[in-house]
Amino acid sequence: MRKLSTLALKEVKLAFRDVGAIVTMLVTPLVLTLAIAAAFGTGTGGLSNVPLLVLKQDDGQISRFVWEALTAENVEDLLAAEMVFDEADARARVEGDEVAALVIIPPGFSDRVIPVVGRAREALGIDLLSLDAESAEALPEEMQEEIGRLYLESREPDPDPVVVEIYASPNWRISAGVVRGIVTQVLEQMSMTAQGTTIIIEELIARGVPEPQAGEGGAEWFSGVADGGFESFADSKLPVRVEIVSPTGRGFRWLDYSATSMAILFLMFAVTAGGRSLLAERQAGTLSRLLVSPTPAVAILAGKMGGIVVTGLMQVLVLWGATTLVGSYWGAPLGVVAAIAVLVLCASGVGALISAWAQDAGQAGTIGTAVTLVGSAVSGTFFPRWNLPAWVQNLSLIMPNAWGIEIFSALQMGRGLVGILPLLGGALGLTVLYYVVALIGFRRQFA
Amino acid sequence: MSLVEVRHLVKRYTADGPNAVDDVSFEIRDGEIFSLLGPNGAGKTTTISMLSTLLKPTAGTALVNGYDIRTQPMAVRRSIGVVPQDLALYGKLSGRENLRFWGEMRGLGGPALREEIDEKLTLMDLTERAGDRVETYSGGMKRRLNLAIGMLGNPPLVMLDEPTVGIDPQSRRYILDYVKELNRAGAGILYTTHYMEEAQELSHRIGIIDRGSLIALGTLQELTQMVGEHEMLRLQLYEPEAGQALADGVRGLEGMHQASAADGEVVLSVAAVETTLPQVLTTAADLGVSIRNVEIREPNLETVFLHLTGRALRD
Repeated sequence: MRKLSTLALKEVKLAFRDVGAIVTMLVTPLVLTLAIAAAFGTGTGGLSNVPLLVLKQDDGQISRFVWEALTAENVEDLLAAEMVFDEADARARVEGDEVAALVIIPPGFSDRVIPVVGRAREALGIDLLSLDAESAEALPEEMQEEIGRLYLESREPDPDPVVVEIYASPNWRISAGVVRGIVTQVLEQMSMTAQGTTIIIEELIARGVPEPQAGEGGAEWFSGVADGGFESFADSKLPVRVEIVSPTGRGFRWLDYSATSMAILFLMFAVTAGGRSLLAERQAGTLSRLLVSPTPAVAILAGKMGGIVVTGLMQVLVLWGATTLVGSYWGAPLGVVAAIAVLVLCASGVGALISAWAQDAGQAGTIGTAVTLVGSAVSGTFFPRWNLPAWVQNLSLIMPNAWGIEIFSALQMGRGLVGILPLLGGALGLTVLYYVVALIGFRRQFA
Repeated sequence: MSLVEVRHLVKRYTADGPNAVDDVSFEIRDGEIFSLLGPNGAGKTTTISMLSTLLKPTAGTALVNGYDIRTQPMAVRRSIGVVPQDLALYGKLSGRENLRFWGEMRGLGGPALREEIDEKLTLMDLTERAGDRVETYSGGMKRRLNLAIGMLGNPPLVMLDEPTVGIDPQSRRYILDYVKELNRAGAGILYTTHYMEEAQELSHRIGIIDRGSLIALGTLQELTQMVGEHEMLRLQLYEPEAGQALADGVRGLEGMHQASAADGEVVLSVAAVETTLPQVLTTAADLGVSIRNVEIREPNLETVFLHLTGRALRD
């Protein structure tokens, strides 16, 4: 045990006496966090009054919903949307970085999103979305039957899906991402509501409600449908949210997000460098000297990894303290301590894995840097994680960064230690996997 | 009593590769300085690595301080000090911190370790710089510290693997004197080197190793007697690249035993200098090779190596 602590202490001393390592471990993440916070502000979302243009080439109901979502009260601080009519001029404004993005809603958008609505308007001149049960019952029976027929016809899928283009300036990536998130959310809500309406109609038919051709029962059938389906569609709220609001009332803040994601990124740099030092010791001859001392090889490895873990813990704890002083919030202290401990262990597993399988310190350094940067990017270190496609989010869970962002996001949204236990369990599982594979590599190297 | 008893030791790094150490057997007696002398790549470091339990032998074994290197590696490690060829030091730690770290890794500690560290620093003339980071030390200082670490705990057997490589004459002298001093204090020494002069100066007995095999073993006197009455001629040339041509040219001369070229020099083992040297000079003139200097030496370890292998020690 004493030798373990001697080895671990030596690792910590070496790490903290290396100016380059201190810059990597502490100074760089702190400066980056502050720079990002300064760039985006420390308030909600870090974004406000994002200038946005909307070219609405469709006058339908659903287009109006999109417009209303982009100008709704709950995003009025975030977006400054402006209706435009000249596409060429609007595109030029985006290209000139005057605005973040241009949302183009194509002609016939509403009718194509829910075809029966469009066909009813075209054939009968009525707006199904504005109908309620009473006005539906008042429609002539022939019209009700025709609407039923149009509904059945409209169930054929559209082979050419409608496209909403978001023409975004590359210099406003994050803002454009937010806009895309809002529009996507509105459309998904629409889609769900439309599907719900379809299910209701189909269920009514299945229950034996008279078909449109039945004549007598047509009005009842239609008014039921209207009550249960179209009306709900027309009245449905469109809850557009960009930020996740926590029970504690804390929203997404760039300072919080970047403080923790940067800390994990630079923790990864530190531990992969630590793992690399094992190979550097082999090249320098100190590992051979250690191996001919009366100390078991397992103890040498454990002491070395222990030192790397202690160094990582100290690094992240210092960053936690420093970023808290400038206003960052990491979460409830107990949860943060547990998260840091688990994430440092997990990250040290990556360091161990690389050093166990790399040929030499140089190769380990190259691999470590590449893994850290790529892993951080796909985990969402440099932009909100939830803007990434779902498959990338899932794939990135092979990296400690992704677990770290998930865990700290949960903590920042108000979850406590108990609430993050499943996430901690996932990260620990990954840690075990890393170390098992690393041990196989170490046995191969040092057997 | 033997400190080390090596029995038919073999090391092969790959299954179908050559033997890096090939059936080597020798013993080191109590209180003895034993040198393994051989050129680079001869198998010295591999041998010492097996004896210090860093490498596992492919075949054969050895007893070190009575412990089997195969079955009792931890006991072997406790009973030896090792000074590796590499400067196995932590540059970011001070000299004193390095000594403390390595002392603790040997299981030492407390006031006894502190006293020993002070003693080693004094012996190695490093006290004044003990608190400075090792990365600021000169090469010689690092070598001395490297040596001091190997001596921690005053083990009964110290293995030194080429401890004077790449250092200044003053530090080299320091180390050689310290090795002798250590031996006088009772420690057995296994010393590997490719410097003939060091082996001659230090050793009670010498093993000459070449291409993995121990080709000669004995005291300096016993080894030089192997070459009989041969003397050695060392010719320095103005044109180093002409060395091989001259060595080939003189090989058939009467009284010529061995001829070898290396590092711009031609080394000859001859029966009688007075009869062979004029023929050598004539041959050189015929070949157009200009000789800058001729050195005549009594039989020594280099002569022995040349005699046994047909090559100079530095080949």
